[in-house]
Parts: sequence; structure tokens; C-alpha cells
Amino acid sequence: MRKLVAGAIYLLSGALGILAFVYPFFMPSGAAPQQGMARGQDAPLLTAILVGLSVVALLVELQGRTLSAKTVAMLGVLVAVTSVLRFLEVAFPMPGGFSPIFAPIIIAGYVFGGRFGFLMGTFTLLASGLVTGGVGPWLPYQMFTAGWAGLSAGWLGSITEWTDERLARSRFASRARHLNVPILCVFGFVWGLLYGAIMNVYFWPFAVGPAEQTWTPGIGLGKTLARYGAFYAVTSLAWDLARAGGNVALILALGRPMIKALERFQRRFHFQVKGRSQPMEKVETNA
Amino acid sequence: MLDARVWFLWAVTTLVTASSTRSPLYIVVLLLITTVVGAAREAEGSRRAPLSPLRFATIAVPLSALFNGLTVHFGDTVLFHLPDWLPLLGGAVTLEALAFGALNGLTLTVIFSAFSVFNQATPVRDLIKLTPRAFHEGGVVLSIALTFIPQTTRSLQRIREAQAVRGHRIRGIRDWLPIVVPLLVSGLERAMGLAEAMVARGYGAVSGEEQPLRTQGLLVAGLLTLVAGWLAYLFRAAWRVPAMGAIALGAAIIGVTMWQTGRAVRHTVYRAREWTVGDTLVVLGCVVTLAVTLTHRDAFYYSPYPRLTLPPFHPLIGLALLGLLMPAMLPPAKKEAKRERSREENT
Repeated sequence: MRKLVAGAIYLLSGALGILAFVYPFFMPSGAAPQQGMARGQDAPLLTAILVGLSVVALLVELQGRTLSAKTVAMLGVLVAVTSVLRFLEVAFPMPGGFSPIFAPIIIAGYVFGGRFGFLMGTFTLLASGLVTGGVGPWLPYQMFTAGWAGLSAGWLGSITEWTDERLARSRFASRARHLNVPILCVFGFVWGLLYGAIMNVYFWPFAVGPAEQTWTPGIGLGKTLARYGAFYAVTSLAWDLARAGGNVALILALGRPMIKALERFQRRFHFQVKGRSQPMEKVETNA
Repeated sequence: MLDARVWFLWAVTTLVTASSTRSPLYIVVLLLITTVVGAAREAEGSRRAPLSPLRFATIAVPLSALFNGLTVHFGDTVLFHLPDWLPLLGGAVTLEALAFGALNGLTLTVIFSAFSVFNQATPVRDLIKLTPRAFHEGGVVLSIALTFIPQTTRSLQRIREAQAVRGHRIRGIRDWLPIVVPLLVSGLERAMGLAEAMVARGYGAVSGEEQPLRTQGLLVAGLLTLVAGWLAYLFRAAWRVPAMGAIALGAAIIGVTMWQTGRAVRHTVYRAREWTVGDTLVVLGCVVTLAVTLTHRDAFYYSPYPRLTLPPFHPLIGLALLGLLMPAMLPPAKKEAKRERSREENT
């Protein structure tokens, strides 16, 4: 029952966040122009509130199942390591949107699961924003998007684990283990583009430019998509390709040793302290 | 030193005001205000921003003007024509389009400048204190991360030096491997020690407690109400008022759930910060600016299209904007606060 309700919270907060982000595409074409304009003016403010609320709801649920000391310590240290990588990005500007923080978020989510990945994504953006002076109206959106990258990486990890178990019985067993890194590369590439595309949507309704690239409430899904596509291609595609390519390069270069290191520590973190009445022993639990 | 919440209100007020206008006069007034406030805080020994607003402006204003000027072919004052066969760029380049692009760049600079001041003036420790009690564990994670960042930076430096002594040079991404993996492993070793210390001090004593089903149910109800309200808002123009009501109800349910979850966490402060007269004055200044901005939206309106004209300036609005200058008019922080800040930076 609890798992079902928790699943409903994930689903609803995800749906709310996605609906909030993609509202420009759903302003119906049938709406009267005045109504469309009136809603066009207050919709961006509502979007910010909805994204914030969906992050709050998900954090309350994720934290509600009290985090163990091991998870808190590991999460804190991994966030610190990834934030240091963001220092490098600030100190030495890298090509386009390339950022070294996404690969660790994706890999950590892949190894430790969706819950850990979500927290890692949100806290990395928050902590690095605090120390690099990056706090601004964009931060909740960055936290939400990076959190979802980590959460979906956890789901990918579960899927590949399930597939590995099935393949272990087949003749492809030896090859299955080597597929992790290529799968993560594709995933990192997709999220490299997706992160930019999602982050654009939050300011696109305010953006000015040629009519065929700007948002007008009530023009219909097809036209809005075409305009957004043109806007994205002109302003962001090259920038985001650098981020996507950077993710692939980092995962290719560092993915396998990082996964090995994290898996080794995942096993080491499986300790539980028993009370005095019981003998001290190592027991398998989830970190 | 002002309260972190007051600084946040100041930054948000500047953001709302700057977003409400494209009049160059008001934007320049706002830019001057943020610059003066930033300079006053810097004189008190605040953190230095990695990118100064002036440097940001030198990038944002010309880029925005160029992009808008080359892609928007609207306006009466035509400067020159680009060949029509050029996709997107072909057509008249007008003074109005260039001016509008530059104004957008200036608005972005004001927003960037306001949040730079916020980041400079607010110590990280105060920002962590703003974490709601419901996110107590998130606050702990954040505190650990921020405490470990200096150690990790030193660790990175040591590993780089050690690898350099062995003749290792960074030429491509693969060369990061001997640096990133030891950095990760040493960080995880520290996490291991920290986790053991936390367990030994009883941190894990409450682990394994499940989220009450009632809390989960309330979250589901709040999210469902929000989704329903948002869908009604998007697809049923006639249901605008009930849709807004549903969104407000959903937000209230999630807010109450967060408050209830937070009540279970005991919050203690070693030395509570007192609310000062300066805090009240800055809040009053922000309230005046915000009230005038929201009630006089027409007076803020300006568009350089179709022909560039002189922007109007209402003295009342100009005076109201000065409310944001309040942080710069307060007496400088005491030496003790300065010392505390420098101690924090050193640690």
C-alpha cells in the first residue's frame, strides 16, 4: 500500500512538473484572444509556483522515509565532490553548455537508485549554486531538472538490472555486463539535450525575438511546437550539443571506473549497528 | 547585517520590478540602485561575485541587441538591409529592434546584479538556516556538502600535484581519470568515517521509521488537486476562478503537510539572530516599491516600436524605486559581524 501511494506521489509530482513546464504548448487554440492573453500573463508565475510545489512534495516524500546516516554522509560527500567539479566549470569556461556535473549525477543515480539520484541532482545544483553565487530565479528549475535526470537514471539502473538478470541465464550473459556504459552514454546524451530544452521552456514565454520563434498564447499545439523548435534550433541546439557530447565523453572516459568505485562502496556501506543485546554483525540493508 | 529573508525579499522585489518594465530610464535607475547597494555591501567585506555585473552587461547587452536587431525586422528607422535570401536574418535591420534587444540585455543585467548582491551579502550559513524544518535532513546533507567542499578542493589540489610529480599531464578528458577516481574514492572514504561517527552519536537511531500513511495521503491529495486545477486552468477558460481556487487549495494542503512534518523536528539555535530596525526599514522600502509596481503597471509600460521615442518618467515611480536603495542607507555592519564573516570564509 505504502509503495503504491509513494508511486502515486512520484507520478503526480512528475506530471505536475512536466505539465507546468510544457504549459505553453497546451494553451488551446480555441480560447478567445483576450482570455489567452490574460492567462498568458499569469501562467509563468503559476508555473514557477507549481514547479516549486512539485519539488517540495517530492522532497517531503523522499525525506519522510528517514534517511540513514550512511545515505546522508555519502550524499553530502558526493554532492561536495560534484560541486567542486562545478568550480572547475566556473573557473575554466568550457565549450558551450558542457558541464562536468551531469555525468556524476547520472552515474550516482544509476548505481544507488532513483531516490538517491533525485536528491543528488537537486542538492548538487543547490550546494554548487550557493558556493558559486548561482542563486537566482533559475535555481528551482535547475534543481527540478537535474533531480529528474538523477531519478530517471535510477529507473534506468533498475531496468538494466532486471535485463541483466534475464540475460544472465542466456548465452548473452558475458556481453550484458559491458552494455552499461554505452547505455549510460545514450542516456547522458539525451539528458544533455533535454536539460537545455526543459530549461528553455521556463523563460521562453518571456523571450523576445522574431514572431516565428516566440510564444503567443492560444495558437495551438502544432504551431507552438514549430515555433519552439525554431527557437531551440537557433538559440540552444549547438550549446546543448556541447553538453550532450561532454556527457558522453565523460561517461565513456570515467564511467566504468566510477561505477566500479561506487558499487564497491555501496557494498561497504551495507552495515547496520545492532543494539547491545544482540551480537554485532554485518547485515544486508539498503543504504 | 540584514536578515537573509530580508535580502531575499529585496532581490525578488528587484526581479519583479525589472521584469515589469522596458523603460530605459527605470531600468537604469534600478541598475544604479543595485550597483550602489552592491558597492555598500562590498565595503563591509562581503563575498566577491565570480562574475561582476559590469562584465555581465558587456556580454549580455551587445549580444541581446545584435540578436534582436538581426532577427526582428520591425520598426520605422531602417539602418540597412540584409539580403532576403539569408534565412532568418534577411530583411531590414532597424534601430528600434536594436534598442529593444539592448533593453532586454539591460533588464537581464539588473536581475543578475540583484541576485549577485543577494549572493554576496548573505552568508551561506544564513541561507542554510532558511531551510524549512520539514527538510531537516536535506539541511544536514547541505551542511555536510558545504563543509566538505573546502576539504575536497584541497584534496583535488593534492591529487593533481601528486600526479604532476609522476609526470602526468592533462591533455584530454581521459587524463582526468587518475584525478577524478582518487578524488571520488577519498571522498567516499571520508563519507564512510563520517557515517560511522554519525551512527556512533546516535544519528541512525531513528532510521527505518516510515513516512506516516496520512502524510503520504495528504501529499497525494494536494498534488491531485494541483494537477486538476492546472488542467482546468489550461483547457477550460471559463473555469478560471475555480481552477485558481483548486491550485490555491492544493498549495495549502502541501504547505500544511510540510508544516506538520516539520513540527516533528526540534529546532534549536545556539545564538538567535534578533530582528533589527534596519530589517524593518528594508522590508518597508520593498513593500512600497512592490505596491507601486503592481498597482501602476501601465505607467511602467514602454515600447520602442514602431518608432523610437523618449520614454516617459513619472516622479512617483522614480521615488518608489528608491525604496530599494534602503540597504545602502543603513549604517555599516559592526566589526564583530565582519570578523564572523571572515572566520566563516577561512573555514
